[in-house]
Amino acid sequence: MWVAIVVGAVVVLLLLLLVLTYNRLVRLRNETETGWANIDVQLRRRYDLVPNLVEAVKGYAAHERETFDSVTQARAAAEQAPGPAAAAQANDRLGGALDRLIAVSEAYPQLRASENFLALQQELSDIEDKLAAARRYYNQTVYRYHTVKQSFPAVLVAGPFGFREREFFGTDDGRDAPAVSFQGA
Amino acid sequence: MTLKEQIRANRWRTLWLLILFAALVGVLGLILGYAFQPSLLVVVGVVGIVYGIFSWLSAGSIVASATGAKPADRAQYPRLFHVVETVAIAAGLPQPPPVYIVDDPAPNAFAAGRSPAKAYVCVTTGLLNLMDERELEGVIAHELSHVRNRDVRLMTLVSVLVGVIALFSDFLLRISIFGGGRRSGNAGAIAFVLGLAALVIAPIAGVLIQLAVSRRREYLADASAAEITGDGEGLALALRKLQIDQTSTAHASRAVAHLYIENPQNQATGISTAFRGLFDTHPPLEARIAALEESGGFRLAPLQ
Repeated sequence: MWVAIVVGAVVVLLLLLLVLTYNRLVRLRNETETGWANIDVQLRRRYDLVPNLVEAVKGYAAHERETFDSVTQARAAAEQAPGPAAAAQANDRLGGALDRLIAVSEAYPQLRASENFLALQQELSDIEDKLAAARRYYNQTVYRYHTVKQSFPAVLVAGPFGFREREFFGTDDGRDAPAVSFQGA
Repeated sequence: MTLKEQIRANRWRTLWLLILFAALVGVLGLILGYAFQPSLLVVVGVVGIVYGIFSWLSAGSIVASATGAKPADRAQYPRLFHVVETVAIAAGLPQPPPVYIVDDPAPNAFAAGRSPAKAYVCVTTGLLNLMDERELEGVIAHELSHVRNRDVRLMTLVSVLVGVIALFSDFLLRISIFGGGRRSGNAGAIAFVLGLAALVIAPIAGVLIQLAVSRRREYLADASAAEITGDGEGLALALRKLQIDQTSTAHASRAVAHLYIENPQNQATGISTAFRGLFDTHPPLEARIAALEESGGFRLAPLQ
């Protein structure tokens, strides 16, 4: 009689632990998905901004064809990159191409004075700050998810229930220096 | 300590303080149960619980009105909105919180709202004038950490409990002055004296624990902010600027002091300096800077 009660209690406790651990893993995995969605929002903003930026520069510096092509190609490659790690790499290249585009524009005073171009440049800097923030949050959530997933007792649950590792989105190596400072208070 | 160790240590110390708090209430109850008639205690206990629930429910949105905050205009403060939105993303909040402005030359900021979904942040115009973008990011990250760590809820809960203890003690003290509820006999007299002593000490001890919790949460918010922005030095620089600044916030009362980035009432006087730390809602700025320096591996230039 007593043995049955003790065994029953142990089984109930183990089931409870299983449920709690499973739910914890689900919550952490959902957090990484939210984190990825945040990155995706900023990436999409950047992809949408690129054609406008290229058009704006073209109006003043039509013969910089090579720079335009490299930006457009980098954007297309980034949009099609599968998974976070590849997307991070492709977007680093896009970032480099955009930096070169901005550098080219420095040589055209009329372009630099254009209000449209300034607004686009400020939006680009806003996107880049937010992308860096979203990347930091996403990588933290992935790190937390992996830490829990690899420790006891979650490690026993994670495998059988198909909790897979997630890719990091590049590395957090410091802050991307903003190209434009925000005006006003 | 590294950042993660600091965060964990601060969480643990909060838990210990709360356990201490529960122990305090338990011991008070035991002593009083012995010193007074149990039936009287039941009555007072019920009154205390009702009072506690009532003040928990009513402690909602008093903050914004108490500080004179107004919704900020995006066109007027683009830099502020940019920083708040960026930090909100880095903190993983569901959406950027509404931003409020207080027209006050003293630099300060606070966050309020019981859950991340209902939170808002508020900064003074003095803060915007004083801080550059990097420092502002640190300050906002500190405030949003309070929101994410559910500090508003925690501090409301603790202050309600302190209020209940104060009410309890006050009530029983009055009764005992008029000689009610006393047990007879020699042992009863000793218990009664002990009970009186407990009634006097308990409210003070409750407040001291409350303030200790508040200071702990400040360290935690600093460490969380450094984790969110990845730039503890920015926050440390902001704290250094607050340290140099001498203006004090006009609209802040003691009731909302724990929400601010630094103690809005500059240097309370009247209490001797040795004990002053015990009655502060915030740790000294110097100690907060030191903790950030330790986890971040940098050194600010010393104060002149």
